[in-house]
Amino acid sequence: MPEDLDIHPLDELAVDGIAALDEKISGTYSPEVWERRTMYYIRRDPEGSFVAESDGKIVGFMLGEVRSGEFGLERPTGWIEVLGVDPDYRQQAVGRRLAEAMLERFRELGVERVCTLVSESREGLTRFFAALGFKASDLRSLTLELPAKEAS
Amino acid sequence: MSVRATELPKAYHQAVERWRDTYLPDFALLLEKWDRFFPRDRPFKLCAYRECGSCAKIECGEKKGQEKYVRVGEMGSDQAAHLLGAVRAQASTEFGSIQQHQLTLSRAQDEQDQFWILRMMAEELRHGYQMLHLLLEDDWSAATRRSGADMVEEILSMRTGSHVLGTFNIDFDSFVDNIVFCALVDRVGKYQLSMQKVSAYRPMAESMPEMLREEAFHLAAGVLPLRRWAEQAAQDSVYVTMPLMQKVINKWLPRALEMFGHELGGATNLRYGFKPMVNAEAQEAYYREVGKVLDDLNLRFIRSRLKDLKHGEAIALRRRVVEEGESVRGIAPEHLLRQPHRHFFRRRGEPAFSMVGFAGEAFEDPELYLRHILEHLPETYAAGRDFKGYATLLRQVQGGEIDASEAARKTPNLSRVGGVCPCSKAVRWVAGGPTDDGATFSTTP
Ligand SMILES: CC(C)(COP(=O)(O)OP(=O)(O)OC[C@H]1O[C@@H](n2cnc3c(N)ncnc32)[C@H](O)[C@@H]1OP(=O)(O)O)[C@@H](O)C(=O)NCCC(=O)NCCS
Ligand SMILES: [Fe+2]
Ligand SMILES: [Fe+2]
Repeated sequence: MPEDLDIHPLDELAVDGIAALDEKISGTYSPEVWERRTMYYIRRDPEGSFVAESDGKIVGFMLGEVRSGEFGLERPTGWIEVLGVDPDYRQQAVGRRLAEAMLERFRELGVERVCTLVSESREGLTRFFAALGFKASDLRSLTLELPAKEAS
Repeated sequence: MSVRATELPKAYHQAVERWRDTYLPDFALLLEKWDRFFPRDRPFKLCAYRECGSCAKIECGEKKGQEKYVRVGEMGSDQAAHLLGAVRAQASTEFGSIQQHQLTLSRAQDEQDQFWILRMMAEELRHGYQMLHLLLEDDWSAATRRSGADMVEEILSMRTGSHVLGTFNIDFDSFVDNIVFCALVDRVGKYQLSMQKVSAYRPMAESMPEMLREEAFHLAAGVLPLRRWAEQAAQDSVYVTMPLMQKVINKWLPRALEMFGHELGGATNLRYGFKPMVNAEAQEAYYREVGKVLDDLNLRFIRSRLKDLKHGEAIALRRRVVEEGESVRGIAPEHLLRQPHRHFFRRRGEPAFSMVGFAGEAFEDPELYLRHILEHLPETYAAGRDFKGYATLLRQVQGGEIDASEAARKTPNLSRVGGVCPCSKAVRWVAGGPTDDGATFSTTP
């Protein structure tokens, strides 16, 4: 683990660092997208999403929220929705530390069950969640392809 | 952890609603359009939130480790008076900022920016309400002889010009003020609230978490529009330029630094367990954080202007321009934002009236100094009474007529003519409260 690793709640000054991290992972820089996305989580619960900082830069982030009443889940359920760790900082427990902070916040909010969605093709991500104790559940993701109507 | 929502007794709740109708007339519009701008967010409610289950033991100061105070009466009178001063000042800032924002709210060019500010104003009203809740829930007779009704009345009667802290007595000149104010002054609020979150007075500590959550939105309501303006300025947009943003930052940062109190003070708060840091320590952390805001905006400008640069390259370019003063690929130092020296244009605290320039340079002649700071301030602000008051005091201090600490005590010294609503001066906000006996709001028992 990086010695100076600092996990703290998401704030408005993290936007650019997250956009830069996404750029490093995905190859595209989309600051407006990350502004919108981080604002959504800041408005929902600014203490419920986290960033990891080391050496003055953001090296990981995990965004999520508590939902209830959706998907037939009546009890408040914690959702981990977006995450990423700097490729140069992987396998150093950054992701785990972010998840611990997030789970602690969920616990404070009375959550007893945490969910996420992972594509089977993303083996690393699947293993990461497995290492945290996540298991396949009775919740199934269903998908419908919706092609655009042909212009007449 | 649970959050308890309570309303003030009816007469006081209605007093705040009347105040709201006067100083926040767009409140109904906010509710009407809430779902459009804030879908899925909890609807706004005018109430006090207390988060139960916070730390029960005093977290700093000479009584560290003992049980926190649940009632004011458990404290000594000096300690209680100190706390009352803080609650009153906090309440004054919350209501005061609404009066300031209202002046220029309608001048926003962007509807979303405007509704974010409007939501922020409604939340400031809730913060003020929260402080009134503290005043009315407890018996403050250990600190003052005044009744709760009188204290509330006094706070609701304050206007831009008569608030406790100087920052809240300065008029806004344009919507850029609304935005910069959120980015800089609400950030001081974040520091104050975070410190008060450990307060030895439990009702205060329990009031902070929800206010802090709202404050996170206020900071974003400032920084995000600034980011967009920086981005547009990089494309040579004619609306909000970097030099204008710089000047408005220069107008507010000195006042924001003064909100932390005198650089040598804060020991009493720490000793009493009300705040975990002394003034200078908090101010220093704040000043560094403002540096990060400016870094962020400069980076946004650079990446918007030079789209081929990657993150690390843009940071390196920023360093060369801002720190080394070079011009690189058409970006010169004057295109980017710089942080004023922390002693620039100060009128309270350790460097009050000491004539330190924008970059930390020393001045001897007050007229030259005034001209120097004028170059760094918005013209509309310089034409107002706040600046004139400062110039007059500076000349008096430099002419040896009064000393700096006396001058510092004299600001703010504005009395108000005219105002939002012609009847708001005469009205008593709290209906049925005892009539004012003319006593000043004294914090000594
Ligand atoms: C998945 C990810 C978050 C893991 O972050 P990380 O900081 O490397 O993870 P950690 O070091 O904290 O690992 C925690 C546990 O997960 C395991 N793990 C993490 N990545 C793994 C991988 N690729 N393969 C196998 N196990 C893995 C670790 O071995 C560790 O297990 P242990 O604690 O039992 O030893 C990171 O690889 C990532 O950002 N991937 C891309 C994410 C992405 O695609 N985001 C977009 C979709 S939302
Ligand atoms: Fe506030
Ligand atoms: Fe605020």
